[in-house]
Amino acid sequence: MGKILDAIACKGLPARDIRNANLVNLWIFAWAVTLAVISLLSKYEWYSSLLPISIGFVINTGLALGVIFAYKRFLKDLDEMERQIQLESLALSVGVTFAGFSSYSILDQADVLPDLNPAYLIALMSLTYMAGLIIGRIRYR
Amino acid sequence: MKNRLKVLRAERNWTQADLAEKLEVSRQTINAIEKGKFDPSLPLAFKISRLFTMAIEDIFQDEAE
Repeated sequence: MGKILDAIACKGLPARDIRNANLVNLWIFAWAVTLAVISLLSKYEWYSSLLPISIGFVINTGLALGVIFAYKRFLKDLDEMERQIQLESLALSVGVTFAGFSSYSILDQADVLPDLNPAYLIALMSLTYMAGLIIGRIRYR
Repeated sequence: MKNRLKVLRAERNWTQADLAEKLEVSRQTINAIEKGKFDPSLPLAFKISRLFTMAIEDIFQDEAE
């Protein structure tokens, strides 16, 4: 259990890596908040005009780009073993999502399952990415 | 890949944390290299060889050999 908790807390990373990781988390938090706010606002009729939709789109896309650049910088500066763990986790996440999406779409077309909600894909990617990080950190310790 | 990192570190009375600080990596990375669970990149291997003033092949040995 201690090993798993250490793996989740990424214990022992250099201060620079923790600082960069916190920066990535801040960008992700801001992106998630704007996505939630925009989703909420889209229920109101006044939000259906072009201007507020454009503003929401630009802000959310800008923050998403911020996440990408912050994560790229985080990876570039990262301790090399942790970088390998991160890349392996990303590979696992993308692979599982592709496989999951294609399998689901077959069942979806056959009307066995309900229409695929894009939020499920984001959740699947996030969960497999986190699982990959924990497995990688435990494996290399 | 086998290596003599643990022995070389012990000869100098350095902890894993000391070595990690000198090489600017995490203590976990040093631990994984010593246990043979992680092979360092070429730049890190050169850094280790400079730190111990030894040739890379005197620190790291290919297990196939």
